[in-house]
Amino acid sequence: MTWLTWRQFRVQAFTAAAALAAFAVLLAATGPHLASLYAASGIRGCQPASCGQLASNFLQQLYAAGTYWVLYLLGIVIILLAAAVIGLFWGAPLIARELETGTSALAWNQSITRTRWLAVKLTLTGLAAMAVTEGLSLMQAWWAAPIGRAVGYGAGGTNLAMGRFSSLVFATHGITPLGYAAFAFTLGVTAGVLIRRTVPAMAVTLAIFAVIQIAMPLWIRPHLFPAHHSVIPVTSLESISLQQGGLNGSRFNLGAENLPGQPGAWLLSSGAVNAAGQATSTSPAACTTQSMRNTSAFMDCLASHGIREAVSYQPASRYWSFQWTETAIYLALALALTGSCFWRLTRRRT
Amino acid sequence: MIEFHLDGRSGVAPYMQLIHQVRQSLRLGLLREGDQLPKVKDVAAGLAINPNTVLKAYRELEYEGLAAARPGIGTFVTGTLGGGASLAAHGPLRRDLQRWLAKARRAGLDEESIEALFVSTFRSAGEEEIA
Amino acid sequence: MTAVIETGGLGKRYRRLWALADCTLSVPAGHVVGLVGPNGAGKTTLLGLATGMLAPTAGTIEVLGGRPGAGPAQLARVGYLAQDAPVYAGLPVAAHLKLGAHLNPGWDAALARARIKRLGLDPGQKAGKLSGGQRAQLALTLAVAKRPELLILDEPVASLDPLARREFLQYLMESVGDQGLSVVLSSHLVADLERVCDYLIVLVGSRVQVAGPVEELLATHHLLSGPRRDPGSLPDGMRVISASHTDVQSTLLVRTSGPVLDPAWMVSEVGLEDLVLAYMSQAAGRGRRSHLEVQR
Repeated sequence: MTWLTWRQFRVQAFTAAAALAAFAVLLAATGPHLASLYAASGIRGCQPASCGQLASNFLQQLYAAGTYWVLYLLGIVIILLAAAVIGLFWGAPLIARELETGTSALAWNQSITRTRWLAVKLTLTGLAAMAVTEGLSLMQAWWAAPIGRAVGYGAGGTNLAMGRFSSLVFATHGITPLGYAAFAFTLGVTAGVLIRRTVPAMAVTLAIFAVIQIAMPLWIRPHLFPAHHSVIPVTSLESISLQQGGLNGSRFNLGAENLPGQPGAWLLSSGAVNAAGQATSTSPAACTTQSMRNTSAFMDCLASHGIREAVSYQPASRYWSFQWTETAIYLALALALTGSCFWRLTRRRT
Repeated sequence: MIEFHLDGRSGVAPYMQLIHQVRQSLRLGLLREGDQLPKVKDVAAGLAINPNTVLKAYRELEYEGLAAARPGIGTFVTGTLGGGASLAAHGPLRRDLQRWLAKARRAGLDEESIEALFVSTFRSAGEEEIA
Repeated sequence: MTAVIETGGLGKRYRRLWALADCTLSVPAGHVVGLVGPNGAGKTTLLGLATGMLAPTAGTIEVLGGRPGAGPAQLARVGYLAQDAPVYAGLPVAAHLKLGAHLNPGWDAALARARIKRLGLDPGQKAGKLSGGQRAQLALTLAVAKRPELLILDEPVASLDPLARREFLQYLMESVGDQGLSVVLSSHLVADLERVCDYLIVLVGSRVQVAGPVEELLATHHLLSGPRRDPGSLPDGMRVISASHTDVQSTLLVRTSGPVLDPAWMVSEVGLEDLVLAYMSQAAGRGRRSHLEVQR
């Protein structure tokens, strides 16, 4: 059965190997130069006070150069898509194709049981799926290490400066790609078993996987662990957006990228509160005129009126807890889907 | 070794056709005592018929004393059907028949009439013999 | 002789429809069994139950004394050829043989190779490029080379041209002669089965209408024609399968174990095709709840 699984999987395996190789070549060609730029930026061994600025300069330099930003994004997109592609093209046809063409009748009447047939197919192809996706992720992580380090030193101000917890980075580094691959693959296989037609199974797999992958960072991941709450001074905020609506009571929003004393934390939500602790978004009249001058004057004015920022966040130390927990969730889903496949296919069909 | 053929539309059961063909071959001298009959498997494969049908025919021939099975080797002819004597009589009988046919044609009978005349006379003669 | 397939009240239901009902059979070993009936009569269902791909809703079934599909040992004893001979279109012929070797402990590699060579198949050719007849032969080679005791074939020749059909049946009969296989093959055409089957099961409307050795069936069914008669007036031992009447004449197809003694009847033999047709029309008539019509 191992031989047959391999023989049927050959083309897909070679395609994956070619993709991995091409990706590796691309990264290997550009990685060393990126590393040398990092070395030249002086971030290594920097003084704590200047690290943030040096890191930001480094990232801005990369961003301005163009290619590194494109490659970084490309790598992330490839990893994100890998799980979906595997679910669609490895998972959905695995059983559906055999049911569609009738070769399942050929396979099930050799001298092996359906249980063994399914077990070998799922295990070998599933492991390959996880290995490919995680392989892509590890290669990307190696290449982007300088960027990650710069972000860790507090770089900001460019699109490249995505923190570890940001949706794109969290989903493509660490071990989460393993979980996504396992889930997408078993989702595809289960869809194929239930629907018995390859193309509809692919469509259903894509739809469900997309929904889950959007729902996870938006609604589930933030609540995996109870958030920390804190109130911080306005002056520490990095960004501010104002909506002018007249001198009296123009609305404002405050945003933060870095929390003081919590480098690399994941900011879940933030809102302005007045001196009494109530949420507010209306700016005092006195400060609105100040806003015309510059941002920092406006913020000083807000602070003098007792307005501060209430934030909820997840500390950086929880990064791996989040990774393990989320991966465990996806693996549990994959296991449940696997179980349902076995149940559906090998029970005596009454 | 003789070869069998089947007429699917003759209305005669396949195993009977096989028996007839063996007897015919014996009469015509195509098969002689000690010759081997085609293997059951080969006949079944050649004609696309059930091996049991061939077995049945061979068993019937055995019962009639015309053949005997040697396990593991095959089925062999053991008997004859009146043998040499009848063969010797064929020549003169054939000539008589040819003369009769010529007479029938001269009398104006077409082929179907000749055949019908022959068959009906043959049959009624047979019945007379039984009676 | 032991039975290759033994069923008791076997039935299979899909939602509310009974695809097979009340099936009680004892199919003896060492025969080529023909399973004949119109499309949708339940042939594929019965064969699916025999291979273990389906599970019964009611009743029992035993194949070669074991539960169908119950483990590798049972699976090795039964070979199966599905309708339209499915093969892996992307795999070459040689890969199919290797598949058989890997998945069957009883695989006879020499037999398979010799067969492929005699068929003239190119081992490197992808199975999807083979003709219908070649695919059927490849599938049959796979089923036979695993050395089963029982071979089950679902409408194996339905979509083959006459030459391919003949060659397929030739190979099948050769394997039967060689290996002493028992065979069950289904068809909706009697002509396919006549030459090769010596046991017949007629399946119409999800029920078994008649089953038995062909010789016995032909010997016990007769066509009676004579003066117009009510079928109910026939002696008890005689079962009327089909009847048609004109105003003066009745023609009945009957099943009886003894001789027909009534001199008013002209008795003639029934061919297998007419026998099966009679049972099919009987079942169809029952299904439609129609009564006998008087023909003018």
